[in-house]
Amino acid sequence: MNWPQLLVTVLTLGSIFGVVTLSLNLQYARGGMINFGIVAYFAVGAYTYAIFTQPPPQGLDQYKFGFGWPWWAAVIVAGLAALVFAAVTGWPTLRLRGEYLALTTFAFAEVFHSVLLNERRIGNGTVGLARVERPFGDWGPIEEKYVFAGAAALLLVATLVVFRRLLVSPYGRALDAIRDDETAAMAAGKPAQQMRRQVFLISAVPVGFAGAVYAMFTTLAQPSLFTAEVTFIVWIALVLGGERSVYGVVLGTLGLVFFEEIVRAWPFETVRSAQIAAAVEHVVTGLVFIAVLRYQPFQAAATRLRASR
Amino acid sequence: MLLLQFFVSGVATGCFLILATIGFSLTRRVEGFLNIAHAELLGVSAFTTWWLNSHHGWHVLAAAVAAIAFTALVGLGIARVVYDPIRHREPAVLLITSTGVAFVIGGALHGLIGTGIRTLDIGLAQRYEAFGLRVTSHQLIVVGLAAAVSVSLAVFLNRTRTGLAIRAMAVNPELAASRGVNLSATSRATWLLSSGLAGLAGVMLAMLATLTTDLAFAQILQILAVAILAGLGSLYAVILSGLLVGVAMDVSAYWIPAGYRPLVAFAVVIVVLLFRPAGLAGTRSA
Amino acid sequence: MTLPGGANALNGVLLEARHISKRFSGLQAVGGANGLSFSVDRGAFVGLIGPNGAGKSTTFDLMSGVQTSDTGSVLFNGHDITRSSTDTIAEKGIGRTFQTPRAFESLTVLQNVVAGATSPGESLRWAFGRSWRSHETATVEAAEAILRRVGLHERAAARVGDLSGGELRMLEVARQLVRDPTVLLLDEPTAGVHPGLQERLAQLLQDLHRDGVTLVVVEHNLHFLLALADHVLVLADGELLAQGPPADIRADPVVIAAYLGDGDVA
Repeated sequence: MNWPQLLVTVLTLGSIFGVVTLSLNLQYARGGMINFGIVAYFAVGAYTYAIFTQPPPQGLDQYKFGFGWPWWAAVIVAGLAALVFAAVTGWPTLRLRGEYLALTTFAFAEVFHSVLLNERRIGNGTVGLARVERPFGDWGPIEEKYVFAGAAALLLVATLVVFRRLLVSPYGRALDAIRDDETAAMAAGKPAQQMRRQVFLISAVPVGFAGAVYAMFTTLAQPSLFTAEVTFIVWIALVLGGERSVYGVVLGTLGLVFFEEIVRAWPFETVRSAQIAAAVEHVVTGLVFIAVLRYQPFQAAATRLRASR
Repeated sequence: MLLLQFFVSGVATGCFLILATIGFSLTRRVEGFLNIAHAELLGVSAFTTWWLNSHHGWHVLAAAVAAIAFTALVGLGIARVVYDPIRHREPAVLLITSTGVAFVIGGALHGLIGTGIRTLDIGLAQRYEAFGLRVTSHQLIVVGLAAAVSVSLAVFLNRTRTGLAIRAMAVNPELAASRGVNLSATSRATWLLSSGLAGLAGVMLAMLATLTTDLAFAQILQILAVAILAGLGSLYAVILSGLLVGVAMDVSAYWIPAGYRPLVAFAVVIVVLLFRPAGLAGTRSA
Repeated sequence: MTLPGGANALNGVLLEARHISKRFSGLQAVGGANGLSFSVDRGAFVGLIGPNGAGKSTTFDLMSGVQTSDTGSVLFNGHDITRSSTDTIAEKGIGRTFQTPRAFESLTVLQNVVAGATSPGESLRWAFGRSWRSHETATVEAAEAILRRVGLHERAAARVGDLSGGELRMLEVARQLVRDPTVLLLDEPTAGVHPGLQERLAQLLQDLHRDGVTLVVVEHNLHFLLALADHVLVLADGELLAQGPPADIRADPVVIAAYLGDGDVA
């Protein structure tokens, strides 16, 4: 069991998904929006990065677009693409509430997944885009994978800082007011629909960046990597971490990723036992998710903490 | 002519969707939330049927009945253990919880069954041809069952005490309770019925398609489309929606690549939610 | 936005409803044959009374953008606000409290009032900068002054969940006052408020009236309202039954008959 490798992977993936969970946290806990299609923004970021960095198609390549841009430019475009996707899919749907918003975002994500699978010219079908550029080499004595983990962690910290800045400002307070009682907030002049839209768009950008970094990490952009399962995992991470606290969100994600990776990396003897372990991991995660939703330990703890002050 | 052929197969697809969605719609109306795990119950039933049939040599009908009964009990069990304690929470929380349940069931199926394709031991479907259109015996079975179930359900909901109780509870639980309806018993009956119907749909799935552990979840998207299109409407709304979505999905293959079939279902979901959140039924708001 | 010189400085209609109506699943909540029409003069203190189910809160909804009238129009200062959203109307200077008091549960009492004001820091551009902090201090001071005025100063750090019904109502009023509104629509401000606090509320309303704020108050507590208002509108079954000065209304047999059916005369 290669522990250092495991920890580096957990840190990297944990940071990447931590960014996604943070964005979900902003949308749900502060914005009151249930986004069940967040994987789509992630995929948009990943595919945009892949498309913009890869060389133009040659020979047997089925895809049509490849621009060969430098990695940093492609990352920026990835964030922008996620923003545009959020704007396009958000415009008609943000009027909806609760479960209906959940369903429409879910539906859009599945539509996007379908497009990626079927439109070979864009995404190269089920095979996906391979040989995605990994921009960092070894930095002197530090191996590439540590540099990479560091970069991912940096993205996470940057997202944390920006979001926190937003949330402690009057804007954040207005968001809380809207979430607590939208009608009363509007009677106090808060443009609820507009602000909700803004939050939706702002939070999409880091998810796009995270998608780009993910594509760098896996050197692959493939539809099978971006299924509804990713959305569920991020939601589980969100709920595990306690929804309200941003640090809880990060911890929840790291914990979940750790659990997943340890199962994945464990040296099982047969393929079958590895499969069973993965299945058990699924079941346990789902059960913990259901339990946390029911008992809300963090909510209760936070209330007790506040009451005791 | 090809278009007509697609229409015919679309009716069969639609009938399958009707069977898959009635239970889902039922719990939506009576229990008040969208139970994503409903689709996984199809998988439970499908694989139980397969296990009893191909693995243990049971006759497919016996396997089907056993699977349906088992699935009904599983659905009821989940409802009692997971959903009932949190019934007072908002529907969105129940929806999210049901995705957790779907996760658990999916994981369990993966663990128990593993990867690979499974098929039922029932022999090949017969092909019939009339007026230049082809149907298979399996498709006929699905259509026949859908019709039979619809009729029985209509009778059940209109003539039996439990059925009327279910309808009353769907409209207004408080009013129903004040008229003497036992809410928890009716709730249990609803879950049994809904899960049993999911079980039946699961058997159909096993019959019509090649079984993989992902297959069940893939159905949730179509089920959602039909349920949302039907809105909070009655059985008839579900029947109509099921046929519409089924036909739309198959007929669309005439113009767009087959891989986009599920897309048509989602397009329906999105369009309906945006323009008529109440669905075909129309009366109550979203 | 209060006018100098008090209520008599400028005459003229400030808020007007013209043939408005609202129908819910077959029930005509407001309107009747010709719709509901009335006007509120600048600086006036108008009472809106009527038996339960008369459509008073719905009328408020139609005037504050919470619901849109099926017919006719609502005018504010000559501008058509029939289809405007609640936040736009709030920004124009119309404040409103609700029949069941609303509050922001995750914020403290003081934060509730601060949140009531429209701070520059609430726009995205400012939120990422730092300069909103200086504006905050001024807003907090204004909020504290208002809490003193409504008698909630002691409870500034309390959580909303710890407040009594009466205190919640005062909090709602405070949250609207920090916005310095031109018109204040108050929906049953004395419901659940004990007599001592009612005194304070009456005083507050008189002060606001003197300062030139236009007030429209829905009340079941006629003893409270008829002593304060200078004009009263009586609503029944969504239609205007009568209107006039309090003394006339008090004696009007039609009004009394409408209330007798309800048994609610204070």
